[in-house]
Amino acid sequence: MSELFEPLLRSYDEKRRSELVAAYMAVEHAAEPVPEVRFTALREPALRRTVEGMLGLTGRTLVRSGQNEWISGYRDDVAAELARDPACVPPAGDRAVLVLVLIHSVAIPRAAGLLGDDSWMSTYPTPLEELRRRSQLPIGELESALRRLRTAGLVSQVKAGTEEAGGFVPGPQFHRLTDAARRRLQEELILAAGPDSPLAAAIRARRRNQAGGNP
Amino acid sequence: MSVEPEVLARARSRVLGTPSIPASEPVPAGLTAATEVDGSRVWLLPSWPDGATPALLEEYQTAPMPLDRPGQARRVLAAALRCCWSRLDDAPWPGERAPLAAVLEVYVGMSRGDSELARRWATGELRRLADTGWLLLDHDTGTVRPGPRVAMWPEESLSSLRDLLRRLPQPPEAPGE
Repeated sequence: MSELFEPLLRSYDEKRRSELVAAYMAVEHAAEPVPEVRFTALREPALRRTVEGMLGLTGRTLVRSGQNEWISGYRDDVAAELARDPACVPPAGDRAVLVLVLIHSVAIPRAAGLLGDDSWMSTYPTPLEELRRRSQLPIGELESALRRLRTAGLVSQVKAGTEEAGGFVPGPQFHRLTDAARRRLQEELILAAGPDSPLAAAIRARRRNQAGGNP
Repeated sequence: MSVEPEVLARARSRVLGTPSIPASEPVPAGLTAATEVDGSRVWLLPSWPDGATPALLEEYQTAPMPLDRPGQARRVLAAALRCCWSRLDDAPWPGERAPLAAVLEVYVGMSRGDSELARRWATGELRRLADTGWLLLDHDTGTVRPGPRVAMWPEESLSSLRDLLRRLPQPPEAPGE
């Protein structure tokens, strides 16, 4: 049916071929990074390069998580192109709500040493009330934004427990950031949360230099 | 700058979910097209290698992207298909248009307890199913029809779905029929 992957898959025998397809479907559709021990085509470097090639055909790439786990994400060059396309960018309200969740659930706990430096997953939910107060969005708009963000896997809802308050945390899509995307997001968060900080000044200076260096 | 246009078109299609283009435009290579009933537009769908579907994840004990209320979402989708896929021997796509009220009626017939509450839950779920391309809602006419994603179901997976739908409550007769 699909000829797209044929040039990459043609030379493999049936067993290898089904292993490649399984690994491809797993990294594209799993909620979380998948362990390479479960997928031959992720474990063996030569096969893994073919999976990477299959992903590349649709603008995707392999993202390593921890030592032995893999998931897929957009290639950095493709993400940059898509970000220039207004149809592919979520509405400003949705982005504002997402930034509030990232500040509250990741940046603040990270600054307090409660979260590791390079993860965007968090166990510290942002309460709905906090989002309502800080976003200044009417409740109907806020709820629509949260519905879209949840559907997209960009935020997850945490139900209130007996001791913890409920709220929203970054969703499973944050597993899918490449190293470069994680770095960029970290910088953007510093610029948003502490625009007058020395760190923000350093980021701006470096970007100016880069822009100057590559006209 | 150097991204191949076809690669970018496939990535863009993934970002947008199930975008549609005029039928006169070429379908980017490597995407599948579901043609609209009147032939004017086509919906772009991903194309997976060797006929695989995300159902393959189950064989590898790998969890797919989570849904908020998966059971409810499936039941509401089933209720909608009961109304929109009336000729079960045909394929579910493109199906037919059905009144939202009929879908809610079928859903209430499938659920226990407070029927007003069931209607409210189902209404929210219909919106989520429309957001993700499983259904197409038309608020002006108060109707629903199958979304382009159902066109991706392989024929060999449909028989159990057909059996299930036959066991669901009948949709109410439309007035004038």
